[in-house]
Amino acid sequence: MKWFAPIPLSIKLPLLAAAMMVLVGTVASQQVLRSLAQVQDARIQELARMHVEGLSVALGPLVLRHDIWEVYDTLDRAAQGSEGRRMVLTAVADERGKVLAATDPRRVPMDSDIAALASDAVALDDLSVDGASNILSLLAPLTYQGRTVGQIATELDVADLLSERRQALLYLIAGNAVAIGFLSMAGFLAIRRMLKPVTTLARQMTETKGEPHPIPAADIPRGDGELARLARTYNSMVGAVAAKAEAERRLAERERFVALGRLSSSLAHEINNPLGGLLNATDTIRSYPDRPEVVRQSADLLDRGLRHLRDVTRATLDQNRMDPETRALTSDDFEDIKLLIQSEVSRLALDLGWSVDPAAVTGCSLTAGPVRQIALNLLLNACSAAGQNGCVGLMARTTDGNLSLQITNTGASMPQAALDRLLGDGPLLPGGGVGLRLVRDLAKTMGGAVCHAQENGVTRVTVTLPASWEARDAKG
Amino acid sequence: MEYSIGRRTFVGAGLAAFIAGHAAAQPVFRLGLTPVFLDNDAAVIDGLRRALSRGMGREIELVQRRTYQEITGLLLERSVDAAWLCGYPYLQHADLLDLVAVPQWRGSPRYQSYLIVGAEDGAEALSDLQGGTHAFSDPDSNSGYLVTATDLRRMGEQVEGFFSRSIFTFGHRNVVRAVADGLVRSGSVDGYVWEALAVIEPGLTARTRVIARSEWLGFPPVCARRDSLASEPVQALQTALMNLAETEEGQQALASLQLDGFQQADPALFEGIAVRMADLEP
Repeated sequence: MKWFAPIPLSIKLPLLAAAMMVLVGTVASQQVLRSLAQVQDARIQELARMHVEGLSVALGPLVLRHDIWEVYDTLDRAAQGSEGRRMVLTAVADERGKVLAATDPRRVPMDSDIAALASDAVALDDLSVDGASNILSLLAPLTYQGRTVGQIATELDVADLLSERRQALLYLIAGNAVAIGFLSMAGFLAIRRMLKPVTTLARQMTETKGEPHPIPAADIPRGDGELARLARTYNSMVGAVAAKAEAERRLAERERFVALGRLSSSLAHEINNPLGGLLNATDTIRSYPDRPEVVRQSADLLDRGLRHLRDVTRATLDQNRMDPETRALTSDDFEDIKLLIQSEVSRLALDLGWSVDPAAVTGCSLTAGPVRQIALNLLLNACSAAGQNGCVGLMARTTDGNLSLQITNTGASMPQAALDRLLGDGPLLPGGGVGLRLVRDLAKTMGGAVCHAQENGVTRVTVTLPASWEARDAKG
Repeated sequence: MEYSIGRRTFVGAGLAAFIAGHAAAQPVFRLGLTPVFLDNDAAVIDGLRRALSRGMGREIELVQRRTYQEITGLLLERSVDAAWLCGYPYLQHADLLDLVAVPQWRGSPRYQSYLIVGAEDGAEALSDLQGGTHAFSDPDSNSGYLVTATDLRRMGEQVEGFFSRSIFTFGHRNVVRAVADGLVRSGSVDGYVWEALAVIEPGLTARTRVIARSEWLGFPPVCARRDSLASEPVQALQTALMNLAETEEGQQALASLQLDGFQQADPALFEGIAVRMADLEP
């Protein structure tokens, strides 16, 4: 039955209904034919009984006297008067089984053995129109005045009864075929119509790429049936999924602004610190305009300070660019990230370990935006976890052609809720951030994987990102 | 009282009237018929009865029995006044019976016995039929038994040994049917009957073939007891038979019987049958 499984339900159910109708039709036809056979058997038995009893009355004394001519004359007249020539042959024998006379003397001669004629004959009660032959043979005792004086063998032509039976069979087959065909088609259409909402539901769930679409109101069955409830429930689920996605998107946005806030304070710090030095330098230049070496040193100091401010500003702008980042990743991106977390590192007096393999970073041809977001999120998280005077490290290198980012930090291990967000796809619990889940989602989107390990008080998160197709093709 | 006397008077008067009426009418004449060829045709029998009744001026009751023996017995015991017999039973009882008249067929008071077989049978003579089945008409029939039995005797055979089985059909037409239908291979039949059937039922006789004809023998006569031959009823019958061809009804009856008429019979007419009877003597 494996072949049956792939057939759509809208075909399968009507087929099953048609099969059931064929079964019912066959059983009903069988019953009709059986009843017809019983009626015909009863009819033929009754006819044969009347024939035998009539002949017994008429022939009894003649057989007793062995009056051959009278036996023949009686049989001949009875045969000529019989309706429709049902009895094609009748032979009468004496008590020894020797034929006295038959309606066809040439076929059954006088004094022949009746057993030869009645070899396949049956008794009266066993007479049955079984369809094997157009002729039935009957052998019955000829009783007269309570004793058996001879035997009567009769051949009955039942061709008309068999023809009637065949005709009934043909009519039944034709009638059933028409009825089953009509009902099957009606059943097919009705069930198909009933299953249409299910088909629509299946199509909406499978054929809409990316996200499920609600079933149009026009396609929802009227009333409050199971299918209508199913369609409405499905539409509710589609709405819930969309609302959830929207909520997640807003949460990610909020996280982005949270990170931005944190960065803004760092930025203020980064700008504020050199500002004093820069103002001092301008004061020095004003105070000692005639001392070229002092002016040159102050100008150098101004230049470094302004360049630092420019770099910080650019990195911040790059990180928070609202457009999708499609630029390829370079080692400068990691310098930006280092610059962005510098204020956090300084504030917490962290020991920052930094190892970026420029060839590995550029060789992967990965999009800069997601990688920067992953690295920044994980580093900010690591800084927070490392605490005052802790150690934080980043290592970017190539492993089996893939870019491997390893972020380490000392301090408290990652709580279970944070691990669930980083490593699992379960629903986000209220109260937690979405930075780690964003890391996981971005890594998954890029076809990568996230691993977590805790060894000797060091938490290590490794993100493996496969090189892009362009990079592989270039290598290949 | 008046009622009782009245009823007795009424019954007595009715009885007297019945006796007087019966005495005034002619007694019914009873004529026995043997199974001649058309004894199964009610119209023929009725035509003959009406023609004779008109000729005799009295009612005629035709008495039919299955066998010659039964009719002969009725005649001998006076249960019938006269009978249309066969030459053979007439000669068997010639001491008690006498001839009233004999039919004329094809201008002569004689006929033949035919030996017949099925149309497809290859037999050409009686000797070819040995071991087969045979149908006789009646054991007291000249044409339907005596002729074949004496022919066999002349061949040194007996009926019982020559044929594997012989049956009596008690009717010449039945013999023709038995042979035509294949019930028996051969049969002994009245030649007059076979020829008459060839006209009336040609489909029946066409299924048979005559392979032997006997010499011409006396036609079955109408007989009466010798001691009543001179009686008025028998004489009236004789007169009616002789004059049958002169009335329209009589002609119709004769035509349906395919006979020319009746004539005075001479015992010498049956000499041939007597010879055969002598041959059959043990």
